[in-house]
Amino acid sequence: MSSNTSRREFLSTGLSAGLALPVLGATSAMALDPQSAKAAVPAKLDYRILGRTGLKVTTVGMGCMITSDPSVITRAADLGINYFDTARGYQQGNNERMVAAALGARRKDVIISTKSHAPSKEELQKHLETSLRELNTDYIDIWFLHGKGSPDEIADDLIEVQQQAKKQGKVRFTGVSTHSGQQQLLPWMAQKGVFDVVLTGYNFTMGVDMDKAIEIAAKAGLGVVAMKVMAGGLRRMKPDDPAYKKLTQQGAMLAALKWVIKKPNIATTIPSITDMDQLDENLKAMSNPLSSSEEKILSAHLDAIRPLYCRMCGQCDGDCQKGLPVADVLRFLTYADGYGQFALGRERFMELSAEHKAVRCGDCDRCTVNCPHGVQVFQRMSRAQELFA
Amino acid sequence: MKAAAVLLSVLLTAGLVRAQVAQVALDCHFAPGWEASVPVRQYAADNLYDYKDGAADGYLSYGFARMTTIDCKSGVDMLTIDVSEMNDPDAAYGLFTANRDPRLPIAPIGMGGQIQPQSATFAKGIYYVEITEVADNPEADHSAVMQAFASGMSARLQGRETAPEALQWFPKENLDSVRLVPESVLGLKLLKRGYVAKYKQGQAFVVLEATPESAADVFKKLREHFDGAAPVQIDNEAFQAKEPYLDGICFFRKGRFIAGYANLPDATQAAALAANLAPRIP
Repeated sequence: MSSNTSRREFLSTGLSAGLALPVLGATSAMALDPQSAKAAVPAKLDYRILGRTGLKVTTVGMGCMITSDPSVITRAADLGINYFDTARGYQQGNNERMVAAALGARRKDVIISTKSHAPSKEELQKHLETSLRELNTDYIDIWFLHGKGSPDEIADDLIEVQQQAKKQGKVRFTGVSTHSGQQQLLPWMAQKGVFDVVLTGYNFTMGVDMDKAIEIAAKAGLGVVAMKVMAGGLRRMKPDDPAYKKLTQQGAMLAALKWVIKKPNIATTIPSITDMDQLDENLKAMSNPLSSSEEKILSAHLDAIRPLYCRMCGQCDGDCQKGLPVADVLRFLTYADGYGQFALGRERFMELSAEHKAVRCGDCDRCTVNCPHGVQVFQRMSRAQELFA
Repeated sequence: MKAAAVLLSVLLTAGLVRAQVAQVALDCHFAPGWEASVPVRQYAADNLYDYKDGAADGYLSYGFARMTTIDCKSGVDMLTIDVSEMNDPDAAYGLFTANRDPRLPIAPIGMGGQIQPQSATFAKGIYYVEITEVADNPEADHSAVMQAFASGMSARLQGRETAPEALQWFPKENLDSVRLVPESVLGLKLLKRGYVAKYKQGQAFVVLEATPESAADVFKKLREHFDGAAPVQIDNEAFQAKEPYLDGICFFRKGRFIAGYANLPDATQAAALAANLAPRIP
């Protein structure tokens, strides 16, 4: 089956997931907002069990990477969020220090995950000791190998360091974080049997193949934590992008978060939370389920971005009969159309061979490249040639 | 027609700026024995995630344009040079302040830098540079190599070498560090962008608004946000308050700046410190 998420599939998966609620192991509770009398609205909390770890986690956790002030993290914990994510590499360690400062008094009540990019055993061991020191803790709840895209990147000696740290009590559970290659990586992790948790990019733009990979992981007992739940959010969009205004006005970001937590195989999510407003907004995802109008907003957004933006998934169906590197040219076009970097897009285009620069898609009878996600390859390539050549 | 001409002019200007930027030469010849192991690569806002994963958000929040990267090798030791082009020098310095270790001193490289045993960072002009070594021995001290690479790279980059003026506004006594917060200062969405100075006790802040009018508008909303805000006399307008997460706090407005102190045991103390900060802001 194609990994394409059609409008029909999108709506049907959303609705069927809705019928599946409440999920097994899910419970809920209420927490009072202590910020001020004006904002003292009870926040409903939903919990799930994080796979074989047995940890009871709120379905909305907190990505602390771009949090602007430690007070936001402290308040999130006060409101009942119990899963907090950071990484050794975020702001050269300053982010781990911020998390420690914000959660120090309630360390035992919360779950802290951190990650390491270290490529060698020695470096990984060093990172663990540094993370423990910077987080001001005796143990890390979940320790991820950071940003792995395939099993080849996960050497046995890295796994050994994780397992040893577990035996020493420095780490409670281990895992891998991944931004790409999940369809290969997740089944491999499930089969490998040495990991407890997987942290994976997952959002409404992804297709059924991704759902299958996550299902395999969850069935094998891996706790699944979702990141990139807002599909890149607004940060990569220009404020003058028509979609920007539409998304902010329609509440698409909250809808995107709700869409993910509606999936029963996802235990928790770690949307990046910058400030108190975002925290309050994300908390709503636990108190109000995804509505049909929100599903329509996401569906419309999916339809809007599908013909334009290459997801760089590497799954182009068919090759260009004139040998054009289609995914590359689509990326150059995204520099110009998506991010206003015309010069960069043109610069990259001009690095193509003379033969490729001379190709005009209009000269072909038909395009032999199809995008499984619905990018209109012929139209987009023609636009790139018109803009850059 | 006029709009098309303006658009063309913007595109041409952007092209010229980028053409100048693209001339930055990146290689590994800053210390004996170092050679490129992986050719120069470039990342833009849309694919920075491919390289930096979740950390990409940090770059983007400060106003990231693009990054040029090279991997270098000397025997078994490897290092990576990342040169980020930011939208303006303040953004480059801001990213440096977000990533620097506040417990270590700032070195005189460009607008400011830091040299550590296996890493170096600095900001100069619109550039923020990170040099990260993956040494065979994680405990090895390669500060001299880091210094050589940082100095060599700095010499190749054009741009401002003085830190943003706002840093001088904060009193030096008991000051830990100053950083640029790119959005939501103090965790408040209303306060879009500003400098936060961390002290042994509490923190001072200066938020940068575009005009006195927009600052007044934000200030009005800010006062409404805090229950029990009590007026005090500092510059154009001011109030003090106490709340669970920012503790004793005082905000004042001076022209287009909104500034003050937070996280002090009581609001009166915050107001007293704010009154001392006000005359230091132009």
